[in-house]
Amino acid sequence: MSISYLLVLIALAALGGAIWALFWAIDSGQYDDLESQGDVPLEDEDPPDKIAKG
Amino acid sequence: MNAEALHARWSPDAGEHEHVVFLVEGMHCANCARSIERAIGVLPGVDSVRVNGATARAAVDWRGRGGTRLAQILAAVRGAGFTPVPLAGQAATAEFQRERRTALKRVGLASLGMMQAMMYLTALYGASDIDASMAQLMRIAGMIVVTPVLFYSGAPYLSGAWRDLSRRRLGMDVPVAIALLLAWIPSVWNTLRGAGEVYFDSVGMFIFFLSAGRFVEMNLRHRTLGSGEALARSLPAEVTRIAADGARTRIGVATLAAGDTFLVSKGGVVAVDAVLAPQMAPDSRASLDESLITGESAAVVRAHGEQIRSGSVNLGAPLFLSATAAVADSTLASMVRLLERAQATRPRMALAADRVASWFVVLILLLAAVTAIAWWPIDPTRAFAAVLAVLVVTCPCALSLATPVAIAAATSRLTRLGVLVTRADAIERLARADTVVFDKTGTLTAGGAIVTDVEPLSDLPRERVLAIAAALEKHSAHPLAAAFRAFEQANLPAQSVREMEGAGIEGMVQGVRWRLGRRDFAADTPGDSADDAGLFLGSGTELAACIRIGTPLRPEARDAVDSLRGMGLRVIIASGDSREAVAQVAAALGIDEAHSRLDPAAKIALVRGLEANGRRVFVIGDGINDGPVLASAHVSCAMGQGSAIAQSASDLLLIHENLAVLPQTIGSARAALRVVRQNLGWALFYNLAAVPLAAFGLVPPWLAALGMSLSSLGVVLNARRLAGSGGTA
Repeated sequence: MSISYLLVLIALAALGGAIWALFWAIDSGQYDDLESQGDVPLEDEDPPDKIAKG
Repeated sequence: MNAEALHARWSPDAGEHEHVVFLVEGMHCANCARSIERAIGVLPGVDSVRVNGATARAAVDWRGRGGTRLAQILAAVRGAGFTPVPLAGQAATAEFQRERRTALKRVGLASLGMMQAMMYLTALYGASDIDASMAQLMRIAGMIVVTPVLFYSGAPYLSGAWRDLSRRRLGMDVPVAIALLLAWIPSVWNTLRGAGEVYFDSVGMFIFFLSAGRFVEMNLRHRTLGSGEALARSLPAEVTRIAADGARTRIGVATLAAGDTFLVSKGGVVAVDAVLAPQMAPDSRASLDESLITGESAAVVRAHGEQIRSGSVNLGAPLFLSATAAVADSTLASMVRLLERAQATRPRMALAADRVASWFVVLILLLAAVTAIAWWPIDPTRAFAAVLAVLVVTCPCALSLATPVAIAAATSRLTRLGVLVTRADAIERLARADTVVFDKTGTLTAGGAIVTDVEPLSDLPRERVLAIAAALEKHSAHPLAAAFRAFEQANLPAQSVREMEGAGIEGMVQGVRWRLGRRDFAADTPGDSADDAGLFLGSGTELAACIRIGTPLRPEARDAVDSLRGMGLRVIIASGDSREAVAQVAAALGIDEAHSRLDPAAKIALVRGLEANGRRVFVIGDGINDGPVLASAHVSCAMGQGSAIAQSASDLLLIHENLAVLPQTIGSARAALRVVRQNLGWALFYNLAAVPLAAFGLVPPWLAALGMSLSSLGVVLNARRLAGSGGTA
């Protein structure tokens, strides 16, 4: 049964990781603008580096 | 938005990291957005550029000390062929972003936590064969997962309840918080002692549904704002400041202070209230179009020392102006504040619903107490679950959301139609209106005056009459003079022209003296002095012709009036104009109820009379003289180009002056009221049905959480239909 304790611990750690990733994504603005990024593939040429950083 | 927010629209060029958001006009496609990004991206010190083609917003982060100034960024946008426009209430936008991010995190954490807690705790459901130490492990895991959900995602409800209780009020957060803590505390206790029921999964689920509902509501609310942007668009983003040594710099308009000298080019908009600067010659005059502020489209002339209002358009040579107020204290900013008023006040209907909800809360708490007392002698453990179910299932969220979400959705729809809601109550009032009163000039009619008819009173031909009148009127500053401009003839000048105040104009044309104006001024012949609908041309002793001046009817007026009548509304014209002019418009629109020669007091009397007879009157007007009647009517609408007084007195603003949207506007308002009723009815029905079931212990806590959330979601989704393109519900 002791494997269950380990599995629960791993699950909790994974959950913590998922929450951290979600918060990071929200804070870095990934959910701020859900419309315009969909247009990127329609674009003719690659934008300069500076834009990609945004 | 307040003065600070207006200032913050363009952050001054200082500091290490700069951030600006502005609207870009002229974008049509994704490639437009990319070309703007490229144009800004190549500037030194720019960290990131994001241009959203859908919302027409550009967000730029850059290092101010890297050598790039805001002016250069804006110049780059212009260089790419687009127009940058300051975003009114940018501070508010930043606030929205923060709010949205926090709400997303709360929903995200709650959903992850809820799923995990359910996975662990379903293992305990009715399982008798589970190992005691395994059961304890599941309880502890549930506690670890749900506790952060309660205190992070559930924080708004806990703090809201605390705020309410510390002010000795009962808000809708109170039963929610009691339910949450009532479920969580015994669960923690049972976990620590290693036996008994735990409700961590119900807590997680309840919080998830609550925060998801609030997230949807928040999105709806944010969509309805941003209408202030349209008004603020008329403000220029930048001005050219002239330093004492004559050096010119382009600066953001918020940076301009009172006392600064700035340049306004021909056709440019005056950004702040100002006077002519000392640089201008002492006898110089500024020729301005103040139609944005006053609704009067005739040019106004300002000499030294006379106030020039922000929002005026410079019609003449470039002007050096001296600012008398900063942008936030100027005339145009006051118009933006009108919107602030609408957004700051709560509609009466929503306030009433809040009052009902607070009684409802008392009722719920009593019901919960009764449930507890009734169940206790029967089965203490089931008493607990039943109390929890009563508290959760009756959460008055749906009741409290019913009105605001419908109003918010309708406001959003109206904004897209070009109707700005400047008072919170407007939609409810509009939905109940049954009579429409139109002002004539500037409302049903539009644009400059034109000559509508020439009635010959002698054998002078029509062309000659108009040419003489044009020659005389050329010397007049009267707004009606513009009507004659098309008939001017170069070889027919007028000499020794004199303007008689309130009577007319007199001058010599080809050696003959002519008078143009009131009938008794044009000729001293006796006649019907009431016939003053036109301008009379005469020699001073004999009449030559009567010229009728009018403004053309808006092309969409007829259709709009027909649809309004089709919706069962009574349509009336109330005008200060002469009987003939009003009768003509009334006939063209097929309106038989037309009142002419009404001064502001008479218009108010007309509206009061109608309302005394039980009518609810919707008044549409534009001029300064319409201000009082607009303010006293049940609900009122001002034209977008109308006077500031009319706009501040009314509940709605027709930005594009398109009368065709009025029927849709009233339709949307009626639909909103219908949705409010549906929502309230649904919330009431749901509670009446769910409470007995919960009190008799037939609803487990998780099902109660689901039911309560679905009832709130139903209310929000029902309101969302209003914001769509249909407009009927």
